[in-house]
Amino acid sequence: MSDLERRLTRLARELDWPETPDLAPAVRQCIALPAPRRRRRPLVLRRSLAIALASLLVLAGGVFAAVPDVRDAVLEFLGLQGATVERRPDIPSAPELRVLQLGQRTTLERARGELGFTPLVPRTAGRPDGVFLSAVPPGGEVSLTYEPGPGLPSTGSAGLGLLVSEFRGDLAPEYMGKIAGETTRIERLRVEGERAIWIEGAPHLFFYRPPDSDFAESDLRLADNVLLLERGNLLVRLEGAFTRERAVELARSLR
Amino acid sequence: MEDRPPQEAELVARAKRGELDAYEEIVRLHQRIAFRTAWVITRSSADAEEAAQDGFVKAHAALPRFREGSPFRPWLLAIVANEARNRVRGTGRRTRLTRRVAEERRPDDAVPSPEAALLDSEQRHELLAAIERLPDPAREAIACRYLLELSEEETAAALDCPRGTVKSRLSRALERLRLELGEAEA
Repeated sequence: MSDLERRLTRLARELDWPETPDLAPAVRQCIALPAPRRRRRPLVLRRSLAIALASLLVLAGGVFAAVPDVRDAVLEFLGLQGATVERRPDIPSAPELRVLQLGQRTTLERARGELGFTPLVPRTAGRPDGVFLSAVPPGGEVSLTYEPGPGLPSTGSAGLGLLVSEFRGDLAPEYMGKIAGETTRIERLRVEGERAIWIEGAPHLFFYRPPDSDFAESDLRLADNVLLLERGNLLVRLEGAFTRERAVELARSLR
Repeated sequence: MEDRPPQEAELVARAKRGELDAYEEIVRLHQRIAFRTAWVITRSSADAEEAAQDGFVKAHAALPRFREGSPFRPWLLAIVANEARNRVRGTGRRTRLTRRVAEERRPDDAVPSPEAALLDSEQRHELLAAIERLPDPAREAIACRYLLELSEEETAAALDCPRGTVKSRLSRALERLRLELGEAEA
């Protein structure tokens, strides 16, 4: 071994490596979770099928089931890892105010130990006022709530300044859904190089597709402006009455 | 280097039979080297944690394909390093190694033997700065082989290249370091 190699080896013992987290509980949780349900068809076929089924139903003059996939023609379809956004000529009615079902209240520290991923926090918004944990999607979902404040105006639907939701988009490919009308602004963009979708203005709806059950009408609720973005294998959703620029700033500060 | 007790093969065999407790023990045995290997590639603690965690999950799923009797650690590090590389994606996250140098001697190193003598502060920073200036493949080879103290086989697995490539990269990287440090032979 040369002198340089010896010095490198000595250096190894002086490096202050980042503290190694205990991965065993999270790994065990992920392994113990049931495998995510496979999608029956690729996303593109799903859209085609929805349009085809909707056309057939219109021709037949049948009574439409309360499932958005087949109720209306899909004018536009966008997808991220973990979320879908559909533009439709008409959107189903939904309650304007709804008690948010975000799961069990917890703390960031506890959520970190229980989730199958490291939760991200928008640093420019500071520590969240509320942290909630849901075990519905594989790997879990965390929701962070912020009271209204500077740069975070109160939302009409839930009275919050900011709602952040995060889950493993790669394990739940179509877990989150958006239905928007013709006048809603839908824009594709990139945040820190990763794909994102900004949805602004005019009522649009939000719902979940739990892995082991079908979408239900009761899951619908009206949503405020929303930025959906991919961050690694996570799908992050930022909802609030803020501008696109503010949403992007918040997203860039996610750590 | 992490301790690898002789019962590792038995733990792997038990984990292959579906014993979660055995796999959890395997995770605890290897999580430090897995996390650090991922950190060398991502330079982000959050990404390294995710990469290591997902690597362990994927390795568990791939256990039926693991050949019993062969070394487990290189196989695992190949999976973890692959997860880490998938996360880098040119996001520009580059925590410098120099930030991670302990400024003070550690208490357990307070009386070093001449062989294990610590580098003085100037030497440390010069050496780290020179490592930082290396191209990515050379820097990762140096980090895996010397800073993580992986074997050549493990370095090859982590870098997803043949052992011969590791040797040539290391040779070129050491030569470049000597040049950077003004120690090249005339």
